[in-house]
Amino acid sequence: MIKPFRITLGHVVFIVALVALWEFLGARGVIDPTFAGRPSGIASYLWRGFITDRNLWNDLSYTIAAAAIAFVGGSLTAILAGLLFTMLPGLHRACEPYLSLLNAMPRIALVPLFLLWFGLGIGSKIAVAISLTFFIVLAATVAGIRGVNSDHLVLSRALGASPGQIFFKVTLPSAVPVIFSGLRLGLVYALLGVVGAELIAAEHGLGQVLAYLQSTFDMDGVMALLLLLALLGLSITVAMNWLEKKLLVWQ
Amino acid sequence: MSRPAVAPGAQIAGLAHAPPAAVDLPPSIAIHDLTMRFGAGTAGAVLAVDNVSLSLAPGEFVSLVGPSGCGKTTILNLLTGLLKDEAEGDVRVLGKPPHEGNPDIAYMLARDSLLPWRTALDNAAFGMEVRGLPKRERDSRARDLLQQVGLGDFADKFPKALSHGMRQRCALARTFALDSPVLLMDEPFGALDAQTKLTLEDLLMQLWSAHRKTVVFVTHDLAEAIALSDRVIVMSARPGRIVADVPIDLPRPRDVRKLQTDHRFHDLYARLWRLLEQGASAHD
Repeated sequence: MIKPFRITLGHVVFIVALVALWEFLGARGVIDPTFAGRPSGIASYLWRGFITDRNLWNDLSYTIAAAAIAFVGGSLTAILAGLLFTMLPGLHRACEPYLSLLNAMPRIALVPLFLLWFGLGIGSKIAVAISLTFFIVLAATVAGIRGVNSDHLVLSRALGASPGQIFFKVTLPSAVPVIFSGLRLGLVYALLGVVGAELIAAEHGLGQVLAYLQSTFDMDGVMALLLLLALLGLSITVAMNWLEKKLLVWQ
Repeated sequence: MSRPAVAPGAQIAGLAHAPPAAVDLPPSIAIHDLTMRFGAGTAGAVLAVDNVSLSLAPGEFVSLVGPSGCGKTTILNLLTGLLKDEAEGDVRVLGKPPHEGNPDIAYMLARDSLLPWRTALDNAAFGMEVRGLPKRERDSRARDLLQQVGLGDFADKFPKALSHGMRQRCALARTFALDSPVLLMDEPFGALDAQTKLTLEDLLMQLWSAHRKTVVFVTHDLAEAIALSDRVIVMSARPGRIVADVPIDLPRPRDVRKLQTDHRFHDLYARLWRLLEQGASAHD
């Protein structure tokens, strides 16, 4: 059994060695910095962006705010719609073909339309992100509620639980884990939608910065932004895992 | 086929510990000429229960045994009122026709069906909670029952942390925490290993002696039926008919483990086994 400390140390050594090798090969011209950037260049870009010039804070907060608004709005409406659909199966059947059609569509293709409707501000990227998050959380909500253990329902009915009691004490809690995995995925996709929309056109946001850096051939900046987005996605996952552990201690 | 008379007074000889007054009380459960068809009126109608009459005195423990598909569970579901299909005949629980959510009935299933997001305590209190008992009262009663089933130290554990036997103990606590006089059990120990099963049967006997409920116990395990019951009703394969109504005159209180080596127990077993075989082959 390897100790966790040793594993962490191993990762650190590996990353430092890789970065050093990249820097060295970049300096020797083996890896062309014009196309791959260099670790020192990436670091200095991030230093300027966050410490000296501080311009990245603004874009970072736009991206995070848009993803957060889209996530909350999309998830809430999706959960409510999911509850409505499970209560009114007829309505769900009627809406199903249209929802499937919308869900099958590559949502990023909506960006041009949303740009015309909502402009270059935060509205259009929120709309794109909601169009992704909504369907994911909706599917999870419906699946979670449908997946309730029939033994639990039989027992509750036999013991005299009212439909309301059954819903709040049995159906809804049993759906929480499935809804939660939908939320986790929904948040990742909210970020995807926001960055995707920003790449195409936006006033502010990391995606917009990335597109600009790419067009000016600032490869250190591009790499720095990719690193930033990866870290952002990772912290979302870590935070959701932590929340799930807190929320679902019984699992 | 001869159907035994079902006069409740005549068959509680085994109820040595029951108060004599029980004989004079009206039956807890009375089923008269019950016939049940699934999909009645259609070409594929299945006769599930055929002309069954059965009566249980208050505090009596009666097992229904028979091959699968003999209508045992159908009868239980009719008593709970969960089964809405039309049935012929008359069914009464404490004099009233069955209705869903009848507070006179507590119900227990083969699988523990504990709610995994609730602690043992909250699971034990679940039945009382849906019946609207105040929190303080149901918590103290649930704690008391957990103590009685030997889970006193596990009140705050989630079902995931409990073994199968412990989960079914918790389900027993949930069932006996209700003050319903009638208890319907559908193979509650069917999913347990042999040793755990004996332990839980013993526990059920203790709880039953302490709480005095009328029990209908569905099982396909003859030994279990004999060890627990005052009477064993043997049913035939579909359509379910009563083949025999056998009083179990083993003295109470019973020790389920000791019974395993008792010759009277084995005589009864052999007798019931023959009846069961006859019932199973009656329609071949």
